[in-house]
Amino acid sequence: MNDKYSSSTITEDGRLLLKKMEREGVESVWDRFQAQLPNCGYCEMGLSCRICVMGPCRIDPFGEGPQRGVCGADADIMVARNLGRMIAAGAASHSDHGRDLVEVLGKVAVNEAPGYQLRDVEKLKRVAAEFGITADGKKPNQIAAELSDAMAEEYGTRKKELTLVKRAPAKRQEIWRKLGVAPRGIDRETSEMMHRTHMGVDNDWKSLLLHGIRNSLSDGWGGSMIATEVSDILFGTPKPGVTKVNAGVLKKDQVNIIVHGHNPVVSEMLLHACQDPDLLKMAKDKGANGINLAGVCCTGNELLMRAGIPMAGNHLTTELVLATGAVDMMVVDYQCIMPSLGTVAACYHTKMVSTSDKARFPGMEHQEFHPENAAAKAKTLVKDAIANFDRRGEVFIPVESVECMGGFSVEAIVGALGGTPKPLIDAIAAGKIRGAVGIVGCNNPRIKQDYGHVTLTQRLIENDILVVDTGCASVATAKAGFKQSKALEKAGPGLKEVCGALGVPPVLHVGSCVDNVRILVLASALANALGVDISDLPIAGAAPEWYSEKAATIGVYFVASGVYTVLGPMPPITGSMNIVKLLTEGLNDAVGATFAVEADPEKAAVLIRTHIEGKRKKLGLPHMQV
Amino acid sequence: MKEVVVHPERCVGCMQCMAACASAHSRSKNLFLASLETPRPRARVHVGVGLYNEGFPNRCRHCDPAPCLLACLPGAISRNAEKNTVFIDPNRCINCASCAMACPFGVIRYHEDFTAPPGKTVAVKCDNCYERQLAGLIPACVEVCKSGALSFEEKADAMKRKTDEVARTVSAGVAQVDLAPGFTLLNAIKRQQIELAR
Repeated sequence: MNDKYSSSTITEDGRLLLKKMEREGVESVWDRFQAQLPNCGYCEMGLSCRICVMGPCRIDPFGEGPQRGVCGADADIMVARNLGRMIAAGAASHSDHGRDLVEVLGKVAVNEAPGYQLRDVEKLKRVAAEFGITADGKKPNQIAAELSDAMAEEYGTRKKELTLVKRAPAKRQEIWRKLGVAPRGIDRETSEMMHRTHMGVDNDWKSLLLHGIRNSLSDGWGGSMIATEVSDILFGTPKPGVTKVNAGVLKKDQVNIIVHGHNPVVSEMLLHACQDPDLLKMAKDKGANGINLAGVCCTGNELLMRAGIPMAGNHLTTELVLATGAVDMMVVDYQCIMPSLGTVAACYHTKMVSTSDKARFPGMEHQEFHPENAAAKAKTLVKDAIANFDRRGEVFIPVESVECMGGFSVEAIVGALGGTPKPLIDAIAAGKIRGAVGIVGCNNPRIKQDYGHVTLTQRLIENDILVVDTGCASVATAKAGFKQSKALEKAGPGLKEVCGALGVPPVLHVGSCVDNVRILVLASALANALGVDISDLPIAGAAPEWYSEKAATIGVYFVASGVYTVLGPMPPITGSMNIVKLLTEGLNDAVGATFAVEADPEKAAVLIRTHIEGKRKKLGLPHMQV
Repeated sequence: MKEVVVHPERCVGCMQCMAACASAHSRSKNLFLASLETPRPRARVHVGVGLYNEGFPNRCRHCDPAPCLLACLPGAISRNAEKNTVFIDPNRCINCASCAMACPFGVIRYHEDFTAPPGKTVAVKCDNCYERQLAGLIPACVEVCKSGALSFEEKADAMKRKTDEVARTVSAGVAQVDLAPGFTLLNAIKRQQIELAR
């Protein structure tokens, strides 16, 4: 295999499809990355500012050229403002996704969303109770209406703190209050960040970063958490199930529809439509052996978690799957959908459809989905996909799919443990499991696709560290075969024993990237059971291949929640060594956790193991030298 | 006489020199308007990508003797001694590419230019912003470079400065000074990423 393909991705389907795209003259994300090199150093260091038109400004990192923007902002202020806006954008994205779900919940309550239903009424009642809504004698629809109103208010609340902040351990909440970073409103913190970073507002880099923490918490313990909970209520709380992953899930003899994006509102309706007997018959009449719905990216994860829908790939695979020539339709909602997809699809027969009123793309047909019309619209789209089946040219499905177990919501994990986190705590206390790590985040063409995720995961599980993962990280390890019972062979003896007894793989798929909040909830449950803070636990986070603003926000809410987090790519902060130092050292005094940046996953594994053993020592548990 | 000096260790790869160069060699001398002109003005300085994705502004060295000048049969290439600049006359150029074959640095491009007869492809390269210099301005690439990767100074001054810089690093008991620790940190991470991918 040509070195160029091997240095782009560790996946076999990726290499083969990339080679095919190149042979066919189709431009890929890797080509565009090369064309961008060298990257602008000012931008990479956070030393360029486009906030106002006295500028744009940049600061010379060598100290001889300009050291301040026109307004007088120095490197610290410039980097902090840029980072602040990055966090705001990430929080806005996941939280707005949450808002869309709250709207659907509200419409379901008044029967204005045909096709949608309240799948997990128990969870509805549980979450409603947290918002002070009593269930006595009320019909589920009534509770849903009240919950939807209460959640909508969290976005613009005038309360002191968001409701779900209460889920964090008491010690953690106290830290936030003392620092003045307990989030007050989901939209408020993002809006305030945009205000603070306007010229002439907050020009203390430390105070800007503190607000960055509050902004990220408004997402992690606010918007994102609401998104996950409402998705569970509407579409069912995930339960463990087995499915298949990689480009091999596409079927030569079936109509293949791929869903891409993040919000399950559209994809759930497509799932129903794909099972419609009339449409199945229509497909048969066209000569297809069925309708195969598969996912990529996090919309795919949402369906994988709840319905065991197969997963064709993660972020850097989204263009490649089109090159199979087997995708009859790709339906996208929003976030992480490369605007290049329409161009790639035009080289094959794939019909591209955009569905969100807030996300449009070149080369895609726009078919707007709303809760009122989603069920009907989904059927129309599936019909169009069937009609496209016989327009296929040559089909190339590069590999066999790999088995994968998904569906580990916190409820499912606790369920597998027998209804209480105690067995997990006992295993950790005994040292059979040294600790747990949440591996999250994206793919990034700077890094060989999946290399960071898979290498780090391998090193952790072989050292008896349980891995829970989400988003594109979870797809990476699934493709590498870490999410099947066979993978226990790759785990250390303790982890193998515990996971083997529970019948779960050593790497647990906990959901899409918005579902990182499940990791916060799980960490809180462990901390509460032990009567300690999250920052006392032998746990860590990692984002070995992150690229997006959402991931930056996730990283900050992880650290602010007390989880030591190791990043692969460097965020645009090196223009201020003060800020680098604060994020990698100083935060420890404020929130009991820090960031680390380590490009090499082998070394990241050592950092994480050292951290975990250090925490074990502090808890008085058996520990070792790494 | 002042000349353009390149300091590769300070190039942050922003490519502003390229945009400024294209704009300086346009009819309008204005970046936005220049982007609308036909023929589209192009940069004569080219930022290349190093082994570790670092930038390097590659420009004409105005060699003496200049291989391009020696290779040019129609005599389109000449030297201006006053500004130590090698010029190409677009009217005489026959687009034969001999100069590019002779150039050891790959800085000669072939395209239309507003100074050439309309529709004629000619050899184009850096002219040290001759026109700007006559107007009392420094070369556009230097003017726009804020990281000090390009300077316009007496060669002797640049050499003295470099000599002193080196001398200071070997002074007894003095630790190596890192002029931009953040830039060094960023480059270390990028270098690691690239080595891992290989």
